[in-house]
Amino acid sequence: MPTTRARRKPAGKGEPVTSHDQELLLRIFEMMVMMRAVEDRMVSMYRSGDLLGSLYTGHWHEAIAVGTASALRQDDFLAPLHRDLGAHLWRGMDPAQIMASFMGKATSPTGGRDGTLHYGRLDLNVYNPPSHIPDNYPVATGAAFAFVYRGEDRVALAYCGDGSTSEGDFHEAVNIAAVMKLPCIFIVENNQYAYSTPIRLQSAVADFAVKAAGYGIPGVTVDGTDVLAVHDATAEAVARARAGDGPSLIECVTMRMHGHAEHDPADYVPREMLAEWQQRDPVALFEARLLEHGVLDEEAAAKVREAARQKAIAARKKALADPLPDPTTVEQALYAD
Amino acid sequence: MQTEQAAYTYLDAIAAALMSEMEADPDVFILGEDVGQFGGAFKVTKGFLDKFGPRRVVDTPMAESGFTGLAAGAALVGLRPVVEFQFADFISAAFDQIINVCARHHYRTGNPMPVTFRAPFGARLRAGPTHSQSVESYFAHVPGLKIVMPGTPQDAAGLLISSIRDNNPVIFLENKYLYRRLRAPEPLSLEPIPLGQAKVVREGSQVSIITYSAYVSESLAVAEELAAEGISVEVVDIRTLVPLDVDTIVASVKKTSRAVVVHEAARRMGYGAEIAAVIGEECFWWLDRPVARIGALNTPTPTSPPLEDAVVPQAARIAEVVRKVATE
Repeated sequence: MPTTRARRKPAGKGEPVTSHDQELLLRIFEMMVMMRAVEDRMVSMYRSGDLLGSLYTGHWHEAIAVGTASALRQDDFLAPLHRDLGAHLWRGMDPAQIMASFMGKATSPTGGRDGTLHYGRLDLNVYNPPSHIPDNYPVATGAAFAFVYRGEDRVALAYCGDGSTSEGDFHEAVNIAAVMKLPCIFIVENNQYAYSTPIRLQSAVADFAVKAAGYGIPGVTVDGTDVLAVHDATAEAVARARAGDGPSLIECVTMRMHGHAEHDPADYVPREMLAEWQQRDPVALFEARLLEHGVLDEEAAAKVREAARQKAIAARKKALADPLPDPTTVEQALYAD
Repeated sequence: MQTEQAAYTYLDAIAAALMSEMEADPDVFILGEDVGQFGGAFKVTKGFLDKFGPRRVVDTPMAESGFTGLAAGAALVGLRPVVEFQFADFISAAFDQIINVCARHHYRTGNPMPVTFRAPFGARLRAGPTHSQSVESYFAHVPGLKIVMPGTPQDAAGLLISSIRDNNPVIFLENKYLYRRLRAPEPLSLEPIPLGQAKVVREGSQVSIITYSAYVSESLAVAEELAAEGISVEVVDIRTLVPLDVDTIVASVKKTSRAVVVHEAARRMGYGAEIAAVIGEECFWWLDRPVARIGALNTPTPTSPPLEDAVVPQAARIAEVVRKVATE
């Protein structure tokens, strides 16, 4: 593993791809490709001025977003943040609605009342978080609490980044979940930078999984560019949570390949670091493994990529044509009935 | 429904209302610091753990932000949490979760957020600068919250029931000075009292006192004292700050043409400023005098009795101002 950490074995040849259900593998691949296609399309939309504000992307987070979401049931609670677009897609979110959110359109999940990355839909059991992170961590403990309260075997999974681990809500949520033995899975997406702040200025412990020990819960570090490693670690934590054995923390190590958002050229990141990580594209790595094990052939892979590209193009067209919200409604529904 | 016991304190009324809602709705639960085995710092939930068990009476770690977020998440998937803050002073540690997670959630997403935040607030217990605060104005500025501040045991019960049944985040502020001082003379009704309805608690003709929480009983005492001097004082208890019953305030001030706004919170940017502005906008041509505001001095609330009494509004000062506004 480049630059930051050397202790994990690189994923790749010989990993037990074939022990997974083939349909699941293909679906995971499709969603990773779709996440990349939608985000690449949105980058061009950002550049051509179609979007409001900034654009937060998850390049090199595809394995984390899809690897985790694919280890959950549809009725489990997901509390994603801004690099987890693939988790939304896995739940059935329409890419056009995501684009609509970045454009303030009436068709966004919030009807343009919120925007950018704030597009979670509760009907898909996905939380829509505020900008304050990781506020979604305590919220996830509440969903998990409610599942236990009602005797349901559902679990809650929340994501945050390396920077978020410094916030009080990270500590309070993980501690509460540990004390109450709640069915929670806490994902830390260690992508080396919180905006411009590198790990060494964020935490005196570079290995975030170690922090789990302080709460008395299992913590594991996985290669965040290896979707099956992420999927398997999540599945293990989910099984533990469903069995009533409490929360787990999974640190997924990757690199933030774009700036904090698209306005940010990230000059503070050494170029060699990016070059090194460029070799570890999670989507390309997984495709190579699927090809190697005969789950996919070149032709099928090309079809998946083209289908995703066409879907992203169609989503953009739809989002551009969608209406803006009606300002006369702006004061409506501040309160629930 | 009525309780059997006659003579209820303000605290008993809150406990009875909470218990009745927990009996009626299995989705209602209480969480907070020391609410279980200890029965809460002020003993509002005494006996609840035995009756409802640890599933519904939840002792949390000392983590206001964390358990507020927990309540929000539980509400999003269908429960109806009641959060107890040990003191309203500590609610500042949960500010972010209340404002950014709870208050704007419905506006952003259309999902209900039925959480009730109970918090004992206020001065006059010699508890000092960080145990005596009035926090309503912090929250009154935030769209999406409701704010309830009962001044009597009966209102505390009925309004708490409505707060718990409401599908929005409600800040329910209990005046801790009243907990064991105020006693309802009759058996308590456990019928809900709608949020957003002020109440004229004493009719009068010369001046209106607009007030809430602990200063309802203070104002009634002042009105009684001034009646002996031949001054007729009307007292309006707004009961809920958000939503605010503007009509009842306006009707009273149009009748008396003079108004004094009274609360325990600091005068500067206190909720009385909003009430005074509303009166100015709605009743300007009816007013015989400028609206007067009475509130605490703009200092922290000191501990020592002479200092605290100098900061927090006293009955004599209220009487003096009301007398002046009514007669000059």
